[in-house]
Amino acid sequence: MSANTHETNVRCSCEAAKNFVDWYYRQINEAKPVSQGYVNGHAAYDRAGHPPADICINGLVVATPQEWEKLLEQQRQAPRQPDPNKRRVRYEVEGYDVHVVNADYRFGAPQKMLDLHSPTDGVRIMMSVSVFGTVYFGTGRNKGDDYWEKRDFYDKFILVPNWDVIEKPGARHGRKYLIISHNYRAN
Amino acid sequence: MAPPTGPRASSHASRPSLRGTRGGGVGKRRGTPRTDRDGDISMDSASAGNAPTSSTAHSTRGNRGSKGGRGARLSTRLAQNVRNFVSEQDGTVRNVKSHPNKVTLKIHGLKDSKAASNSDGGLRSLLDFLERKSSKDRPIALGRGVIRGDHVWLKVNPADAPHLLRLNGFTYAGATLTIEETGDSIPGPSNQSTDGTEPKPSETKDKLLAVLASRYNVEQKLLDLSALGTDQTLITMGAFETKALAEKSFKALMRLTATNHHNAAEKEASIQAVTIANNDIHDVGEVYTLATTLPRLRRLDLSGNKLEDMSKLSKWRHEFRRLEELHMVGNPVAGSQQYPAQVIDWFPSLQILDGHRVRSPEEAAEALKAWFPTPLPCLPSNLRDGGNNVASTFLRGFFTMYDHDRPALALQFYDDDSAFSLMTSTTEPAERSYHSYSRNLELIGLRNPSAHQRLFTGSHLIAELWARLPATRHPSLDLTEEWQIDCHTFPSLADPTGQGLAMGLAINVYSRFEEIDPTQQLPGTRKFSRSFILGPSKPGAPHPYRVISDELTLRAWEPQQTPTVVVQAPAAVAPVPTPPVTVQPPILDDATRAQMIEELSRQTGMTAEYSRLCLAGAADWNFDLALKSFQEKRGELPPDAFARPA
Repeated sequence: MSANTHETNVRCSCEAAKNFVDWYYRQINEAKPVSQGYVNGHAAYDRAGHPPADICINGLVVATPQEWEKLLEQQRQAPRQPDPNKRRVRYEVEGYDVHVVNADYRFGAPQKMLDLHSPTDGVRIMMSVSVFGTVYFGTGRNKGDDYWEKRDFYDKFILVPNWDVIEKPGARHGRKYLIISHNYRAN
Repeated sequence: MAPPTGPRASSHASRPSLRGTRGGGVGKRRGTPRTDRDGDISMDSASAGNAPTSSTAHSTRGNRGSKGGRGARLSTRLAQNVRNFVSEQDGTVRNVKSHPNKVTLKIHGLKDSKAASNSDGGLRSLLDFLERKSSKDRPIALGRGVIRGDHVWLKVNPADAPHLLRLNGFTYAGATLTIEETGDSIPGPSNQSTDGTEPKPSETKDKLLAVLASRYNVEQKLLDLSALGTDQTLITMGAFETKALAEKSFKALMRLTATNHHNAAEKEASIQAVTIANNDIHDVGEVYTLATTLPRLRRLDLSGNKLEDMSKLSKWRHEFRRLEELHMVGNPVAGSQQYPAQVIDWFPSLQILDGHRVRSPEEAAEALKAWFPTPLPCLPSNLRDGGNNVASTFLRGFFTMYDHDRPALALQFYDDDSAFSLMTSTTEPAERSYHSYSRNLELIGLRNPSAHQRLFTGSHLIAELWARLPATRHPSLDLTEEWQIDCHTFPSLADPTGQGLAMGLAINVYSRFEEIDPTQQLPGTRKFSRSFILGPSKPGAPHPYRVISDELTLRAWEPQQTPTVVVQAPAAVAPVPTPPVTVQPPILDDATRAQMIEELSRQTGMTAEYSRLCLAGAADWNFDLALKSFQEKRGELPPDAFARPA
């Protein structure tokens, strides 16, 4: 049976995607870090020898999530602008969608997780998340604020389970899913 | 700590009044009902014969009153709201300022009195006089009256009206007063027109629009507002009688300029230059609205005004971020030393000041960056598909088949586990063909059954859906400027044989396609992005790889904006004509191109190769343009350009 016909997988992937999208764009709109959302530097994946996340920004390959944060910071620069409502960069998500691409994800998984969750549990899932929207430059904090210019943007993520968090029931901190691939285009 | 009284009072107070008026039981018109300090309508207070209200109500009121100011203020506002609500229900206009119960009095005689020479026309002293004379039984306070023509108009309480009407025929400062009650409403302030007929707002608007139209130059995209003081239409309208009026007239012109266009982009495109030369401007504050109306103005002519120093220009120092050209000749400020440096600093895009180049376009772009966040640069496609050209081979086959034979495509690359979905945004028009299939989770929500139904799994379902979508035509993949394709490999897909993990290929495509709407047969262009996840096929499949996931994102396509025109230094006046908007050529398939080459070759006698160069060059596959450019450059072509003597 396909990963995408199973109700639990579909429901869990939708919830995970919503959770992820809400978090991610809130962080970048508030100029907060997003690097903890990438697979780089997470113990379970590092131990198992997972390659760093593949990040491609407008056709440019970026080695680490920290470098992507630097690009975001560079994008926000407007040192001479005195008006705080003309200084911001705001991403507005207009839509997102998610597919499960592997319902039996095993890489770096502790044996406990493999025993506990079957491929129909919607836990050990690898997902492809597509997001699109508009990014406003030289704008204020709120939706509908005046802006200097805008671009259509697209973000494509591949997410995998964060074993460190999923393994501990009731864990309050940390992302449940991590980015192994991020493709961004704004034009 | 005392419990909050405000909110409680409000919920408590508004309910009874709503019930009372909605229920229809209270049929009597009371005018403005009396309310107590908390805004409660005291139903009993109007008629004296009713029993007193219960003692609990009184005690509550007492307690609240002792709690201080905030609650009381809230209550007053609340009382006003209730009054408004009731008066609205009564059918009267909801307007706090109109006093439905007041009587209007018209008083004649002030103009003939000695007081008429007072600074306020004698109004205050007349009102004092009336107050004094009418306040025999009880003090009467009059509000502000207004002088309109020969009459003083005054609104008074109905109870006071008889006392004032009794003064009719009294002598005031040597003149006899005539006081009468009237049902007319107080006329508005008289306009400049002397014949007594006031021009209608729509007429004024039409006249101003005519002024704007006559001063607009389409070719140069120039709004010429120079020497407005000598404009006959504006003079006859009396627009420049006073300084304040002149500023208001300018504001009105700006307002009309703004509302005359459908959107900001259109306004920006149609007005790129403005001249307000020779307008006696002492400070740009007088014409400040120009900056808010046309914030992206490119060229501005301020010459021949009276701007003395930089402080007179400072109100615009954070405006006009796109201003490329400025003319200030003839202003006193233009003679000062720090003027050029200061102006260049204030206007980051400025390239030409008073006819001299002060920045190159590159320097201007760099200076502007400091003022606004700048989008990250865009690089072309980034193909990292493991060295086997899997991605380009796949995409080449995919889009050709998607345009011509979707059922076959679904069978070749998709299997029972493949998933497809599409999403659109509702804010975009003309998307009916896709809307009912759109799996945009942001819009439909997670709990919606459509989140399951619109995820199409298996090649048969996918092919069925594709058959219902509009026919498309994608540009050829050889036109690299039309496509942005990023792809890379990633690990840890499930191997379909169940043996461990497999590598996957993530391909993200961004481009546009032409489509035909199936219901109305309307052609259109759409921007799209498509994400594929490819993985190894199951045994027996036609290809070694298959599509695991295919996500299509659709957006409305907007024609590309004309690139910023590089300004050339002109001799004197600002406007520089801009080239016409370039129209995107339609996407042509190779067969059409071959036909065009053949036809051009036949008509011109050029070889196929030269015909192709001619079409692909500046003409951009526009046959007429190519033919024209051939005729222009015929003499310059080498002999080997022609297959046979032309």
